Amino acid sequence: MNAGDSPVDDLTPAERRLTRHLEVLRVSPPSGSAELVPRVIRSVRWQRAIRDPLVLVGAVAAAVADGVGLLFGRSESGS
Amino acid sequence: MLIEPPHMESDESLIDRTLQGELTAFEQLVERHRGIVFRVAARIVGPDDAEDVSQDAFLRAFHRLDQYRGTASFRTWLLQITQNVALNALAWARRRPAETAVETPDAADRDPIQQPASALEERERRQRLELKLGALRPEYRSLVVLRDLEGLSYNEIADVLDTPIGSVKGRLHRARDELIELLRNNTYDWELPA
Repeated sequence: MNAGDSPVDDLTPAERRLTRHLEVLRVSPPSGSAELVPRVIRSVRWQRAIRDPLVLVGAVAAAVADGVGLLFGRSESGS
Repeated sequence: MLIEPPHMESDESLIDRTLQGELTAFEQLVERHRGIVFRVAARIVGPDDAEDVSQDAFLRAFHRLDQYRGTASFRTWLLQITQNVALNALAWARRRPAETAVETPDAADRDPIQQPASALEERERRQRLELKLGALRPEYRSLVVLRDLEGLSYNEIADVLDTPIGSVKGRLHRARDELIELLRNNTYDWELPA
Protein backbone atom coordinates (compact mmCIF):
# COMPACT_ATOMS: atom_id res chain seq x y z
CA MET A 1 0.00 0.00 0.00
CA ASN A 2 1.06 3.56 -0.52
CA ALA A 3 2.89 5.69 1.92
CA GLY A 4 0.83 8.30 3.66
CA ASP A 5 -1.59 5.85 5.19
CA SER A 6 -1.60 4.78 8.81
CA PRO A 7 1.40 2.53 9.39
CA VAL A 8 -0.75 -0.48 10.14
CA ASP A 9 -3.86 -0.87 8.11
CA ASP A 10 -6.25 -2.27 10.69
CA LEU A 11 -7.37 -5.36 8.89
CA THR A 12 -9.47 -8.09 10.43
CA PRO A 13 -8.20 -11.66 9.94
CA ALA A 14 -10.86 -12.16 7.25
CA GLU A 15 -9.78 -8.99 5.46
CA ARG A 16 -6.17 -10.12 5.61
CA ARG A 17 -7.19 -13.41 4.04
CA LEU A 18 -9.15 -11.54 1.38
CA THR A 19 -6.11 -9.40 0.59
CA ARG A 20 -4.06 -12.54 0.04
CA HIS A 21 -6.77 -13.99 -2.20
CA LEU A 22 -6.77 -10.81 -4.27
CA GLU A 23 -3.08 -11.26 -4.94
CA VAL A 24 -4.11 -13.54 -7.83
CA LEU A 25 -5.75 -10.54 -9.50
CA ARG A 26 -2.99 -8.11 -8.61
CA VAL A 27 -0.29 -10.16 -10.31
CA SER A 28 -2.23 -10.54 -13.55
CA PRO A 29 -3.77 -7.14 -14.27
CA PRO A 30 -5.79 -6.56 -17.43
CA SER A 31 -3.74 -4.72 -20.02
CA GLY A 32 -5.15 -2.65 -22.82
CA SER A 33 -3.72 -2.44 -26.29
CA ALA A 34 -1.26 0.26 -27.29
CA GLU A 35 -3.83 1.22 -29.93
CA LEU A 36 -5.64 3.24 -27.25
CA VAL A 37 -3.20 6.16 -27.52
CA PRO A 38 -3.59 6.80 -31.29
CA ARG A 39 -7.36 6.26 -30.93
CA VAL A 40 -7.59 8.95 -28.25
CA ILE A 41 -5.42 11.36 -30.21
CA ARG A 42 -7.40 10.82 -33.43
CA SER A 43 -10.63 11.58 -31.54
CA VAL A 44 -9.12 14.65 -29.89
CA ARG A 45 -8.02 15.92 -33.33
CA TRP A 46 -11.42 15.69 -34.97
CA GLN A 47 -13.32 16.87 -31.89
CA ARG A 48 -11.01 19.89 -31.65
CA ALA A 49 -11.50 20.55 -35.36
CA ILE A 50 -15.29 20.65 -35.14
CA ARG A 51 -15.52 22.30 -31.73
CA ASP A 52 -15.05 25.92 -32.85
CA PRO A 53 -17.47 25.71 -35.83
CA LEU A 54 -20.04 24.04 -33.54
CA VAL A 55 -19.67 26.77 -30.92
CA LEU A 56 -20.09 29.36 -33.70
CA VAL A 57 -23.19 27.63 -35.06
CA GLY A 58 -24.61 27.46 -31.52
CA ALA A 59 -23.97 31.16 -30.96
CA VAL A 60 -25.59 32.07 -34.28
CA ALA A 61 -28.60 29.86 -33.52
CA ALA A 62 -28.96 31.46 -30.10
CA ALA A 63 -28.75 34.95 -31.62
CA VAL A 64 -31.38 34.06 -34.24
CA ALA A 65 -33.65 32.64 -31.55
CA ASP A 66 -33.21 35.81 -29.49
CA GLY A 67 -33.98 37.94 -32.55
CA VAL A 68 -37.11 35.94 -33.39
CA GLY A 69 -38.20 36.19 -29.77
CA LEU A 70 -37.74 39.97 -29.83
CA LEU A 71 -39.65 40.30 -33.10
CA PHE A 72 -42.58 38.24 -31.85
CA GLY A 73 -42.49 40.08 -28.56
CA ARG A 74 -42.71 43.41 -30.36
CA SER A 75 -45.44 42.33 -32.76
CA GLU A 76 -47.51 40.90 -29.90
CA SER A 77 -47.10 44.04 -27.78
CA GLY A 78 -47.83 46.18 -30.88
CA SER A 79 -51.10 44.40 -31.73
CA MET B 1 23.23 22.38 -17.86
CA LEU B 2 21.28 19.23 -17.25
CA ILE B 3 18.44 18.64 -19.63
CA GLU B 4 15.62 16.52 -18.26
CA PRO B 5 14.92 13.56 -20.52
CA PRO B 6 11.52 13.90 -22.24
CA HIS B 7 10.04 10.89 -20.45
CA MET B 8 10.74 12.54 -17.07
CA GLU B 9 8.73 15.67 -17.81
CA SER B 10 6.19 16.30 -15.07
CA ASP B 11 2.47 15.92 -15.63
CA GLU B 12 2.00 19.61 -14.81
CA SER B 13 4.42 20.63 -17.53
CA LEU B 14 2.72 18.34 -20.04
CA ILE B 15 -0.65 19.81 -19.05
CA ASP B 16 0.65 23.34 -19.61
CA ARG B 17 1.97 22.41 -23.03
CA THR B 18 -1.32 20.69 -23.90
CA LEU B 19 -3.23 23.81 -22.93
CA GLN B 20 -0.97 25.77 -25.26
CA GLY B 21 -2.11 23.50 -28.07
CA GLU B 22 0.64 20.87 -28.16
CA LEU B 23 -1.15 17.62 -28.83
CA THR B 24 2.07 15.62 -28.50
CA ALA B 25 2.17 16.62 -24.82
CA PHE B 26 -1.30 15.21 -24.28
CA GLU B 27 -0.24 12.09 -26.15
CA GLN B 28 2.52 11.62 -23.56
CA LEU B 29 0.01 12.03 -20.74
CA VAL B 30 -2.22 9.34 -22.29
CA GLU B 31 0.74 7.03 -22.78
CA ARG B 32 1.87 7.57 -19.20
CA HIS B 33 -1.50 6.91 -17.57
CA ARG B 34 -3.21 4.52 -19.96
CA GLY B 35 -2.18 1.50 -17.90
CA ILE B 36 -3.91 2.43 -14.66
CA VAL B 37 -6.88 4.00 -16.44
CA PHE B 38 -7.45 0.82 -18.42
CA ARG B 39 -6.97 -1.46 -15.40
CA VAL B 40 -9.46 0.48 -13.27
CA ALA B 41 -11.94 0.65 -16.15
CA ALA B 42 -11.58 -3.06 -16.87
CA ARG B 43 -12.06 -4.01 -13.22
CA ILE B 44 -15.22 -1.90 -12.98
CA VAL B 45 -16.96 -2.44 -16.34
CA GLY B 46 -15.23 -5.60 -17.56
CA PRO B 47 -12.57 -5.99 -20.26
CA ASP B 48 -14.97 -5.73 -23.21
CA ASP B 49 -15.99 -2.15 -22.49
CA ALA B 50 -12.77 -1.01 -20.86
CA GLU B 51 -11.21 0.42 -24.05
CA ASP B 52 -14.26 2.58 -24.73
CA VAL B 53 -14.45 3.77 -21.13
CA SER B 54 -10.72 4.58 -21.13
CA GLN B 55 -11.00 6.51 -24.37
CA ASP B 56 -14.01 8.43 -23.09
CA ALA B 57 -12.20 9.25 -19.85
CA PHE B 58 -9.17 10.63 -21.70
CA LEU B 59 -11.35 12.67 -24.04
CA ARG B 60 -13.26 14.20 -21.13
CA ALA B 61 -9.97 14.92 -19.39
CA PHE B 62 -8.71 16.69 -22.51
CA HIS B 63 -11.77 18.89 -22.83
CA ARG B 64 -11.74 19.77 -19.12
CA LEU B 65 -8.00 20.18 -18.77
CA ASP B 66 -8.36 23.91 -18.14
CA GLN B 67 -10.47 23.04 -15.08
CA TYR B 68 -7.69 20.96 -13.51
CA ARG B 69 -6.58 22.97 -10.48
CA GLY B 70 -3.66 20.85 -9.35
CA THR B 71 -5.00 20.40 -5.81
CA ALA B 72 -4.71 16.64 -6.29
CA SER B 73 -2.34 14.80 -8.62
CA PHE B 74 -3.26 14.55 -12.28
CA ARG B 75 -3.48 10.75 -11.88
CA THR B 76 -6.06 11.15 -9.11
CA TRP B 77 -8.05 13.65 -11.16
CA LEU B 78 -7.94 11.31 -14.15
CA LEU B 79 -9.05 8.35 -12.04
CA GLN B 80 -11.96 10.40 -10.74
CA ILE B 81 -13.08 10.96 -14.33
CA THR B 82 -12.46 7.30 -15.21
CA GLN B 83 -14.47 6.12 -12.23
CA ASN B 84 -17.39 8.39 -13.11
CA VAL B 85 -17.36 7.34 -16.76
CA ALA B 86 -17.20 3.66 -15.75
CA LEU B 87 -20.10 3.95 -13.28
CA ASN B 88 -22.15 5.85 -15.87
CA ALA B 89 -21.42 3.12 -18.42
CA LEU B 90 -22.62 0.49 -15.96
CA ALA B 91 -25.78 2.45 -15.17
CA TRP B 92 -26.42 2.85 -18.90
CA ALA B 93 -25.86 -0.88 -19.47
CA ARG B 94 -28.36 -1.71 -16.72
CA ARG B 95 -31.01 0.40 -18.46
CA ARG B 96 -30.48 -1.40 -21.78
CA PRO B 97 -32.38 -4.63 -22.40
CA ALA B 98 -30.21 -7.58 -21.49
CA GLU B 99 -28.26 -8.94 -24.40
CA THR B 100 -27.31 -12.54 -24.77
CA ALA B 101 -23.89 -12.90 -23.31
CA VAL B 102 -21.40 -14.22 -25.78
CA GLU B 103 -18.50 -15.94 -24.21
CA THR B 104 -15.27 -14.73 -25.68
CA PRO B 105 -12.45 -17.12 -25.07
CA ASP B 106 -9.39 -15.44 -23.68
CA ALA B 107 -5.92 -15.92 -25.06
CA ALA B 108 -5.28 -18.92 -22.87
CA ASP B 109 -8.40 -20.68 -24.20
CA ARG B 110 -7.22 -20.18 -27.75
CA ASP B 111 -3.78 -21.49 -26.97
CA PRO B 112 -3.56 -24.87 -28.66
CA ILE B 113 -0.73 -25.97 -26.42
CA GLN B 114 -2.08 -27.66 -23.37
CA GLN B 115 -1.30 -25.75 -20.23
CA PRO B 116 0.02 -27.25 -17.04
CA ALA B 117 -2.70 -28.12 -14.53
CA SER B 118 -1.44 -25.52 -12.05
CA ALA B 119 -1.70 -22.70 -14.61
CA LEU B 120 -5.21 -23.78 -15.56
CA GLU B 121 -6.22 -23.95 -11.93
CA GLU B 122 -4.85 -20.47 -11.28
CA ARG B 123 -6.63 -19.08 -14.32
CA GLU B 124 -9.93 -20.59 -13.23
CA ARG B 125 -9.42 -19.24 -9.75
CA ARG B 126 -8.70 -15.80 -11.17
CA GLN B 127 -11.83 -15.95 -13.29
CA ARG B 128 -13.95 -16.94 -10.29
CA LEU B 129 -12.49 -14.08 -8.27
CA GLU B 130 -13.20 -11.65 -11.11
CA LEU B 131 -16.78 -12.90 -11.17
CA LYS B 132 -17.16 -12.34 -7.44
CA LEU B 133 -15.64 -8.90 -7.74
CA GLY B 134 -18.06 -8.17 -10.56
CA ALA B 135 -20.94 -9.23 -8.34
CA LEU B 136 -20.18 -6.43 -5.88
CA ARG B 137 -22.25 -3.28 -6.26
CA PRO B 138 -20.29 -0.88 -8.52
CA GLU B 139 -19.46 1.68 -5.81
CA TYR B 140 -17.97 -1.02 -3.60
CA ARG B 141 -16.17 -2.60 -6.54
CA SER B 142 -14.44 0.73 -7.28
CA LEU B 143 -13.23 0.95 -3.70
CA VAL B 144 -11.77 -2.56 -3.67
CA VAL B 145 -10.16 -1.95 -7.06
CA LEU B 146 -8.60 1.38 -6.05
CA ARG B 147 -7.36 0.25 -2.67
CA ASP B 148 -6.74 -3.50 -2.77
CA LEU B 149 -5.79 -3.95 -6.42
CA GLU B 150 -4.25 -0.60 -7.40
CA GLY B 151 -2.87 0.25 -3.97
CA LEU B 152 -4.02 3.88 -3.85
CA SER B 153 -3.70 5.63 -0.49
CA TYR B 154 -6.81 6.58 1.48
CA ASN B 155 -6.05 10.22 0.66
CA GLU B 156 -5.99 9.51 -3.06
CA ILE B 157 -9.20 7.48 -2.88
CA ALA B 158 -10.85 10.28 -0.92
CA ASP B 159 -9.87 12.66 -3.75
CA VAL B 160 -11.05 10.28 -6.46
CA LEU B 161 -14.42 9.75 -4.78
CA ASP B 162 -14.64 13.31 -3.44
CA THR B 163 -15.49 11.83 -0.04
CA PRO B 164 -13.97 12.28 3.44
CA ILE B 165 -11.30 9.74 4.40
CA GLY B 166 -13.36 8.41 7.31
CA SER B 167 -16.20 7.64 4.97
CA VAL B 168 -13.79 5.95 2.53
CA LYS B 169 -12.52 3.67 5.29
CA GLY B 170 -16.03 2.77 6.46
CA ARG B 171 -17.25 2.02 2.97
CA LEU B 172 -14.15 0.03 2.14
CA HIS B 173 -14.71 -2.08 5.23
CA ARG B 174 -18.29 -2.79 4.14
CA ALA B 175 -17.15 -3.50 0.57
CA ARG B 176 -14.60 -6.03 1.81
CA ASP B 177 -17.21 -7.64 4.07
CA GLU B 178 -19.53 -8.04 1.12
CA LEU B 179 -16.78 -9.58 -1.01
CA ILE B 180 -15.76 -11.92 1.80
CA GLU B 181 -19.37 -13.01 2.10
CA LEU B 182 -19.54 -13.69 -1.64
CA LEU B 183 -16.36 -15.75 -1.45
CA ARG B 184 -17.56 -17.63 1.62
CA ASN B 185 -20.62 -18.69 -0.33
CA ASN B 186 -18.18 -20.76 -2.31
CA THR B 187 -16.39 -22.48 0.53
CA TYR B 188 -13.93 -24.01 -1.90
CA ASP B 189 -12.60 -20.60 -2.96
CA TRP B 190 -12.48 -19.16 0.53
CA GLU B 191 -10.75 -22.19 2.00
CA LEU B 192 -8.11 -22.38 -0.74
CA PRO B 193 -4.65 -21.51 0.56
CA ALA B 194 -4.44 -17.76 -0.04
